[in-house]
Amino acid sequence: MNCLTNNTAARRYLRRNLITMLLYALSLALSISVFLRYHPTGLVAWLLAVLPALPLTGLLAIFGLYLAEEKDEFQRFIGVQSMLWGIGGTLAVTNIWGFLESFVHVRHLNPILDAVIFWIFVGISIPFLLGRYR
Amino acid sequence: MKNRLKVLRAECNWSQADLAQRLEVSRQSVNAIETGKYDPSLPLAFKLARLFETTIEAIFIDENG
Repeated sequence: MNCLTNNTAARRYLRRNLITMLLYALSLALSISVFLRYHPTGLVAWLLAVLPALPLTGLLAIFGLYLAEEKDEFQRFIGVQSMLWGIGGTLAVTNIWGFLESFVHVRHLNPILDAVIFWIFVGISIPFLLGRYR
Repeated sequence: MKNRLKVLRAECNWSQADLAQRLEVSRQSVNAIETGKYDPSLPLAFKLARLFETTIEAIFIDENG
């Protein structure tokens, strides 16, 4: 949210986001290397498979924390609207892609990409939303 | 909602950034309220009224009233 404003809540959001993205990179590297070298099975395999998803899920909680800590109601309003654009955009893209997979057999869209699509829509929507209220 | 924020701000010789600092909001927020594109919450409207030492009704124009 640092593109919106530069207050304490936004700075905290940016710091938490950077730390979580670093944790994501580390957990992904760990999971890949362990799977490639040791071919784990059972509970360990399940835990390692889920590990990189946890920081990505945490990004949503961090955004929620930002909304809770942001004192500027207009910035909160923009933040919530951008989340709605993210949800709507992700649903639209995955829905369209799902039908394309069913009928014209396009390449399967890995659900891992849902988070990427969501944040792309959130990121793109913010400048447009701010432009609307200029 | 239409309002007299720009006039009141000019009377105090404040820029949007000055008003934003006093309200503890961003300049974008002040601009959105001033242009009538965003209606502030009641607490923020009261804060504006206190800052300009007036009433909410003197700042915001109720077009249905």
